[in-house]
Amino acid sequence: MRALSASRVAALLVVAFVGPLLAQAPKEYQPPSGPTPRTAKGKVDLSGVWQKPYVPDMTKDGKNQKGFPDLPFTPWGEHEWKTYDAAEGDYTGACLPFGMTRSMNTPEPMQFMQSDTYLAFLFEQNSWFTVVPIDGRKHGDGIPTWFGDSVGHWEGDTLVVDTVNFNGKTRLDTIGHPHSDQLHLVQKFSRPDLGHLRYEVIVEDPKTFTKTWSNIRTFTLRTDWEMMEYSCEENNKDLWEGRVKVPKYKP
Amino acid sequence: MKQVLIGVVVAGAMAAQLAAHHSFAAEFDVNKPVTLSGTVTRLEWANPHIWVYLDVKDEHEGVQHWQCEGGAPNTLTRNGWSRNSLKAMEAITIDGWQAKDGTKSCNMRAVKLPDGRTVFAGSTGGDNPTPKP
Repeated sequence: MRALSASRVAALLVVAFVGPLLAQAPKEYQPPSGPTPRTAKGKVDLSGVWQKPYVPDMTKDGKNQKGFPDLPFTPWGEHEWKTYDAAEGDYTGACLPFGMTRSMNTPEPMQFMQSDTYLAFLFEQNSWFTVVPIDGRKHGDGIPTWFGDSVGHWEGDTLVVDTVNFNGKTRLDTIGHPHSDQLHLVQKFSRPDLGHLRYEVIVEDPKTFTKTWSNIRTFTLRTDWEMMEYSCEENNKDLWEGRVKVPKYKP
Repeated sequence: MKQVLIGVVVAGAMAAQLAAHHSFAAEFDVNKPVTLSGTVTRLEWANPHIWVYLDVKDEHEGVQHWQCEGGAPNTLTRNGWSRNSLKAMEAITIDGWQAKDGTKSCNMRAVKLPDGRTVFAGSTGGDNPTPKP
């Protein structure tokens, strides 16, 4: 029998002792593979529970997130950004509605439920939702809201959701990038395969920014997750004990 | 007996990543890192954040009552935590940051368990594998 060389002995020791440790390492989740699912009428079906990248700062890149590093502020937007101090008031700490972008940015998953007429955005964050008509109708003329007024239409296999009529009381992200009540969002959703969703959000706000800018993300289908209840008010000690302040909004 | 250890821990950029419900800067001070070794007295497992209550002996043999917030139960559940992950009377060490108002409140980054394992306690967004407690 041929003697084992030192290097082979070392290799065998690595297999014997390191191998089991590697085998115990948690496996990274892999979504199911397959073609893009479609509805009975042939539209791309966006339904599913989706894991989104957590984006506390929309200027930054991250896993499955392409940010926009240098925001093109107007003088008003620059002032709003430079004078923002979350310690003087953070509406999310008071469990007020996060608004559209900050809800899309959260680490908690979201579920899409889709019919021919509507796409429901079901956010696990604070168990909020918004229902978007996707039959091509125009915007209504309702009162301004935290999540804005959204309508959607199809451009080929991409669903384009257009949102206006925001109340201007929210921030774009956790770090606090500002926007005004002139915010106009365009969110584009496509599903290149069964397990992934491509998401692009285009931010337009002539009061805050001199030109449009965007983020591009990839969501992952989580067939192993169910949506969970999230009551923001249940144990919000930060607010009750006075360590988080509510912003002073003008009536 | 456990001692209060208030010292420098790795702080920096991660701090702002931890709070998904509210802005980290709204409540906590990135310049006030704390390391707290003590005994668990209670765990509150409810949204929007879990809270761990910790009795920490100080240098005068007195007891400081700390409370520290972690991530949302939903996210922590998906990362392997449960309401039974920490039990009363267990000795643990918390790394985090103190509240700006100077009260004995902190934001947890990591918890060192009685068996020596250290687990991430904030909101990871599910992007990062987390050791299971």
